[in-house]
Amino acid sequence: MATVTVQSLTYTYPKQDQPVLNHLSGTFPAGKFSLLTGVSGGGKSTLLKLIAGLLPNADDAITFDGHPLSSVAPTQRAATVAMLFQEPSTQFTMDTVQNELRFALENQQVPVEQIAQRSATALAFVGISDLKFRKLMQLSGGEQQKVALAIIVAMNSDVILLDEPFASIDPPTRLVLLEKLVALCTDHGKTIVLADHDLSGYQQWVDHLAVLADGQLNLLSAAETQQRFAAFTPQRLRLSHVQLPTDQLTTCLHGTQLGLAHGDRQLLTPQDLSFYAHRTTLITGPNGSGKSTLFKALVRLGHYQGHIAYRDTDIKKLRKRHYARQVGLMFQSATAQFLNVTVAEELALSQKYGNSTYFTPERVQSLLRELNLDGRDDQVLYSLSSGQQKKLQLLCMLMMTPEVLLLDEPLKGLDYASIQTVMTILTTVQRELNLTLILISHQLSGLDGLVDLHLQLADQHLTYQGVSA
Amino acid sequence: MNPSLKLALITLIALEVSFVQVWTVNVVLIVVSLLLMLINRVPWRRLLLLTIVPLFFASALVWSLMLRGDASTHFLIVIFTRMFVYVYMGGWFTLTTKPLWLTRSLEQNAKLPSKFAYGFLAAFNLMPKIQAEVSTVRAAALMRGEVLHVWSPRLYFKVILAAMNWSDQLAAAMTSHGFVEGAPRTHSLTVPLVARDWWLFGGSLVLAQVGLFIGLP
Repeated sequence: MATVTVQSLTYTYPKQDQPVLNHLSGTFPAGKFSLLTGVSGGGKSTLLKLIAGLLPNADDAITFDGHPLSSVAPTQRAATVAMLFQEPSTQFTMDTVQNELRFALENQQVPVEQIAQRSATALAFVGISDLKFRKLMQLSGGEQQKVALAIIVAMNSDVILLDEPFASIDPPTRLVLLEKLVALCTDHGKTIVLADHDLSGYQQWVDHLAVLADGQLNLLSAAETQQRFAAFTPQRLRLSHVQLPTDQLTTCLHGTQLGLAHGDRQLLTPQDLSFYAHRTTLITGPNGSGKSTLFKALVRLGHYQGHIAYRDTDIKKLRKRHYARQVGLMFQSATAQFLNVTVAEELALSQKYGNSTYFTPERVQSLLRELNLDGRDDQVLYSLSSGQQKKLQLLCMLMMTPEVLLLDEPLKGLDYASIQTVMTILTTVQRELNLTLILISHQLSGLDGLVDLHLQLADQHLTYQGVSA
Repeated sequence: MNPSLKLALITLIALEVSFVQVWTVNVVLIVVSLLLMLINRVPWRRLLLLTIVPLFFASALVWSLMLRGDASTHFLIVIFTRMFVYVYMGGWFTLTTKPLWLTRSLEQNAKLPSKFAYGFLAAFNLMPKIQAEVSTVRAAALMRGEVLHVWSPRLYFKVILAAMNWSDQLAAAMTSHGFVEGAPRTHSLTVPLVARDWWLFGGSLVLAQVGLFIGLP
């Protein structure tokens, strides 16, 4: 059991002037499951990293039962606090599950004869004894998160921190992990802090809500927490003019017995599937169900089963250079898209090869103003905020005007005003240039004006939704 | 054989061979390395690759030296076989040594700081990730109308940027699983370092010295 106390914590990232966390104080009660919530980019991850000791924090503002982490013996720090990361694959050093468990326990100086036993118990607790000899990089995101939890269980950490652990996890795995976390909390007295910006699906599991807003932390009582949950309505998808595809539509991309898999897990059972030209198609489905994998397959960045044809030609027979200009992908991570150093250079690249008759320098300037990105020509791309990166990335890809533009979470991490602007720009450009857009979005509000067709991925199958025309 | 001693042995011999010009010793080393690889059941395709690639470069080198310059036949044979010594000994080492086993050995037997030992292992595990990153960067460039070749600096700029990001992530991953720089650790698997390893190491070195001494003109 350990109470985590934060007292007057201020943290500023190196080379930035605004602190992310400003004189933040608060307590995470021992043996309780707290849900840390707040807008994206509000400092949740930073707070968790500081508590976990992953970011340097000189002034001992964070204590565990009154002791700062620096006063705990180095080999016992992992037994005090451990963290499960948002991106499942980035938390391992070794190649196999067994070796990673050994590594973690060796670090804690666990006597050799106990290592096997403790590993086996932890794996059994999470219910993944069969994964023991598997290679970590061949596991699915959900399995990797289970392994990460098993390691924390083996290390017997008092405080368990989780940073949006379900962001790429399918619902059944999420349920298993939540059950295990509650068991760790109630039966083993662990203190759990889980950060998520979305409150849906937590009501029955957590004890407290901790709200992080404007650099301040506010722990709600059990009653206030229940009130907050009751007032919370999950975002609903409202699409008023979505119809089933008709014969009049032209097919631009067609999958024949198209199937997708991640490792040995089938994501999409082979099926025939068409995407239609000059329309906007929205793809929805649970986390980790294979939406991004589908996009990667469509731009020839991933393996797939069956055939994909672009305008009746197999995409594997098309020249890569030619095809990449026809079907473009706006990556989920903005930095993956950037090829230059400054904003101006990045825009110049799109200007050079893109549709410059529509995207004249004047139009680009006015779009930059609308997106609040004007006057940043010489700024280094990687020093923009994640929202600014996302908006610039979208503009650069729109300027390329490929025949088909795939958008993977184009609204991720944007504030409300930016979402409105981006949706207006997307809708206008799509209409005026008659583009084909296919998008994946968890941000569901504001999509109604844009979306014509709706594909739902459920039970490893993609089906068009809506009424027939 | 103990991985750390094995590494020390091939480094020492390779260093010596690069200073001394005795082609008979080179041939003996090639035959021994080949035999060791065959005993350890290295796949035929690997062996073929290990032969064809250096054959191309060694032939090109010898050919150019023959056309231009006044190198003796003896020197040409030495240069030709030396290339194969490096590749075959390197092949024997990498194809018969598990990276994790080598890491554990470097940490336990060679008393290398665990930070370096595990840093080496992590770099090894990053290889497939780097390959995937390269193809993503190239695809991203193609979509913007730019073709990035293997020699494009922009490709390396992006990959180095990604690697820096991974190194931060890796440091965080190691810390969160309890790794502390310089702190003592236990070892669930002990890499044996027995008298036989030292005899093999010493014996091989002595044999190489004798060979080089006899072979010297």
